[in-house]
Amino acid sequence: MNTLDARGLACPGPVLLAKKTIDDQRPERLAMLVDNDAARENVGRFLGSRGFAVSVERQGDDYLLSGVLQGGGGGEVAAESPATSAAAQAQPAAAQPRVVVLIGSDQLGRGDEQLGGKLMVSYLKTLKEMGPELWQLIFVNGGVRLTLDDSPVLAELQEYERDGVIVLACGTCLAHFAVSERQRVGQSTNMLDIVTATQLADKVITLS
Amino acid sequence: MLQGLIFPRDSNVLIGAESADDAGVYRISEDLALIQTLDFFPPVVDDPYDFGRIAAANALSDVYAMGGTPKTAMNIVAFPAQSMAVEVLRDILAGGIDILREAETVLLGGHSIVDEELKYGLSVTGFVHPQRVLANRGLLPGDCLVLTKPLGVGIVNTAVKGGLATQETVRRVTEQMATLNRVAARVMEGFAVSACTDVTGFGLLGHLAEMIAGSATRVRIEASAVPVLPEARDFAVIGLVPGGAYKNREYRRSMVEMADDFDPLLRDILYDPQTSGGLLIGLAEQQAPALVRRLREAGVETAAIVGHVVAGDGMIEVR
Repeated sequence: MNTLDARGLACPGPVLLAKKTIDDQRPERLAMLVDNDAARENVGRFLGSRGFAVSVERQGDDYLLSGVLQGGGGGEVAAESPATSAAAQAQPAAAQPRVVVLIGSDQLGRGDEQLGGKLMVSYLKTLKEMGPELWQLIFVNGGVRLTLDDSPVLAELQEYERDGVIVLACGTCLAHFAVSERQRVGQSTNMLDIVTATQLADKVITLS
Repeated sequence: MLQGLIFPRDSNVLIGAESADDAGVYRISEDLALIQTLDFFPPVVDDPYDFGRIAAANALSDVYAMGGTPKTAMNIVAFPAQSMAVEVLRDILAGGIDILREAETVLLGGHSIVDEELKYGLSVTGFVHPQRVLANRGLLPGDCLVLTKPLGVGIVNTAVKGGLATQETVRRVTEQMATLNRVAARVMEGFAVSACTDVTGFGLLGHLAEMIAGSATRVRIEASAVPVLPEARDFAVIGLVPGGAYKNREYRRSMVEMADDFDPLLRDILYDPQTSGGLLIGLAEQQAPALVRRLREAGVETAAIVGHVVAGDGMIEVR
């Protein structure tokens, strides 16, 4: 279990970090380090509302919250409890179409490699014009290179992620190219998540 | 924070900086006193025009809470001119002007500086008869307390900041914050009010504490009667409570009696910091139902009696 560090985040940052982690990864255990009473109480409450049993441990000036999911029903159970109904309704996704962009290469189109690379960069920079309908960006095969430390669109992808777009990179692909250590944006993911995302999406745009 | 500072004053200062009231009051003549107040803050909503309206309604509120009529205003602006289009500032000012117009208050000018973080607010001057100033101190045993706007704005704004609120919720809380306390103040004029304040950053319990700290009165709050935004509870349960609510509780908990098993969500709502919150009005018990009825008839539909005052020890009892 990795520990999320929410120290220094202003309210409601720690809760949003916990929410994003649970929504994206559906972990059964989650630990988070916070540095103030408000965050301790808020994150504890949020984890409780999602079905986690929470314990708190003092660490110097900080608090370590540890949550263990109860009942084994996954996040689904908690998502339907009345406690989180407001947040569930509030998902912008419910109101507008959800678009997944599946990117299978670091080039757009065939013909000239250098041109293809430039076009992909341009595409990803321009993609923000899609607005809030953009739900997930999934990188597979050679596309995962765009999530690495030397990606020409690293800053853009990090900005999408900050704006709430889910950025996923295929873990098998990162391992295949032996570049897992160099991933700098997004969560690494598996094929089940990719299948689920493409199924739940209202529209899937595939670039390869 | 102000301890040890000595403010210049003269015999015409009716309410000065040391009394922690909503605004200062200065007597000009036997039948006229000035109310002066200033408030500004960073954006609480994304829409610049709405932010302008909210900041203006919030700044004007202090004058209403003192029993006065706002007359003139000055803008105060900090604007990140390098990173933000000037149209944004224009929209903010337009929002402020529209609320000033609604309040029949003129804008005389203002001052702006370049700053990294956007901030907007106003300094407002109002008139009041020196004998009719409504201080926040003055509650009497036998009074009832009436609150005019629902609580939970701070919690809902935290959810808005986190992108977890629906458009409908954003709209509703925006309209509540942009609603002037003008109508409520006008209705209140017809009643023998003993004390009044507006509920803002310290939350309901924090402002109540200022009203009775060290006095020979005790306040009993009926928590179930307090008007609350319907979304506030849903967001509080998932931990979207602003740090200010916890700070307010830390600061005033020694003055508040609350059962150990009191609902923690409702507790946080009672301490939740409000932006442009409602008026909290104390008046004799026999007049209170009539005030609530008149407020509701005038369109302040959320007004409710939330508690009453007895002789006592300067404590707040919540049940």
